Amino acid sequence: MAPAPLSSSNASRKLALLAVISAIALAVGAVVAPERTWSNLLIVGFYLVTLGLGGALFMALAYISNASWNVGFRRIPEAMAVLLAPAGLGLLTVLAWRREHYGWHWHGEGDAGTFWFKELWATPSFWMLRAVVYVVVWVLFARAFVGLSRRQDKTGGVGLSIMSKRLAAIFLVVYAVTFSLASFDWLSLLEPMWFSTIWGVYHFAGMLQASLAVIIVLAIFLRNRGPLRGFFTDEHLHDLGKMLLGFSCFWMYIWFSQYMLIWYTNMPEETSYYITRTQGPWGPLMVVNLVLNWIAPFFILLPKPSKRSESVMMKVAWVVLVGRWVDLYLMVFPSTIGKTPVFGIWELAGVGLLIGAFGWLFFRSFAKAPQVPSGDPLLGESLHYHC
Amino acid sequence: MSDRMLLATFEHEEDLLDAVEVVRKKGCKIIDAYTPYAVHGLDRALGLRPSRLTWVCFVCGMTGALGMLWFEYWVGALAWAVDVGGKPWNSLPSNVPVAFETAVLFAGFGSVFALLGVSRLFPGKQVLPVLERVTDDRFVLLLDETDAQFDVSTIKAMLSPFNLVALEERVVSGGELQ
Repeated sequence: MAPAPLSSSNASRKLALLAVISAIALAVGAVVAPERTWSNLLIVGFYLVTLGLGGALFMALAYISNASWNVGFRRIPEAMAVLLAPAGLGLLTVLAWRREHYGWHWHGEGDAGTFWFKELWATPSFWMLRAVVYVVVWVLFARAFVGLSRRQDKTGGVGLSIMSKRLAAIFLVVYAVTFSLASFDWLSLLEPMWFSTIWGVYHFAGMLQASLAVIIVLAIFLRNRGPLRGFFTDEHLHDLGKMLLGFSCFWMYIWFSQYMLIWYTNMPEETSYYITRTQGPWGPLMVVNLVLNWIAPFFILLPKPSKRSESVMMKVAWVVLVGRWVDLYLMVFPSTIGKTPVFGIWELAGVGLLIGAFGWLFFRSFAKAPQVPSGDPLLGESLHYHC
Repeated sequence: MSDRMLLATFEHEEDLLDAVEVVRKKGCKIIDAYTPYAVHGLDRALGLRPSRLTWVCFVCGMTGALGMLWFEYWVGALAWAVDVGGKPWNSLPSNVPVAFETAVLFAGFGSVFALLGVSRLFPGKQVLPVLERVTDDRFVLLLDETDAQFDVSTIKAMLSPFNLVALEERVVSGGELQ
């Protein structure tokens, strides 16, 4: 089938403009307010990388479970996965710029009392090397998934699907280990004296939740604009809604698991993280975080009609995406900026860069392939899907 | 329940779905449809209203969660306050896990028993299958025949394009057909 013309080139240009303006603002910020600019860039970089990785993860989960329902809109997670290379490069630059933020020296807490392995782990050169390895490995997997799927457009047949499935099995194991370590390296090590063994799972939950929200926003947009009209149905929307509801609950479950054990054990080296974030001016934001990421999606998405409604799903997805930003903000800013929450031109520019860069890169890579994987033997099943 | 009914048997779920659509358009009264497994889209084709079981589940879950939160507060802070690990007497975080489990328990049991109650299913209930093979590979549509205008031959002509396997009249007196 011939690809329908993507009539979003105008939107794409606006997004590119937004990204460029925000990047210029942040370049000024790098000189005027380097600390805040860096913190914002870290959020933007991590957000983008986890969306790219989330696209690859969504595909891998579908391949390994032999799912067919997602095939009709699989080009969305594919185009997200393509994003991983530029986003990864950006994040590595951000990390390299201020790699001395990580580890114990920056905080003046000295070597005394730190677990020896943690000191070794936070050695800047080893730390940077690992970051490069994680990103390169993810990019290679993402490219392989996208490459196999696009090759199947021409060849068809079930062989490439089986290859994707095998690749997904390997990817999921590699992903689980590397992403846990990466989330720990890049965010938790901002507070080197703090410990949380559930950190990796927490980030898995947040990543998948935000990625689902992005897929929902893009699928609705692309259906209304044409490319996915007739391919993305209310049944698909309903299932994405169920997944978003489920992973919002999972995020809350893991958030609470981390919080409750630390609260209950009440050990100073663990509670420090939450004392900063729940008491004083950061406290209300913590409540906002829970409302955006769980309370709102849970109660709104619980009835069936809201999961099938385009306008409700669009709004909830945006709420979750704002919640993801607040979640990351609460991880980074109390460690790097300190006592009180700030929101100004640099944060606005960060959000602008996030939306602009993501949208622009996404539409660019989405336009490079036919809008549906026409060679996939499961496409027919996906189009007749009924949930 | 009416006494006279017409039992149409089909071999494929697609035929049953199409037959339901045609029969409803003609204005015949459908008593029920019987299938070996859940047929997607049949509820919509039959024009059934959405299940109210979800609301039972939600109310039960909320009752469990809020009830347990209140109980924990009453026990831990009012009736017999005990100092555990130096925590305040009314500590929400320590109450959440049990409240969560109770919500799941109430929601689960509430839905199951509400379903059994509404469908009047209980241990030892005698079931009279409308057709033995409906538990295996046949799809049955049960039509009400009490209408004076009801004409079996018209119905037969109407349903025959859908690979009708059998059309059979049944008279039930007093009993309940499952």
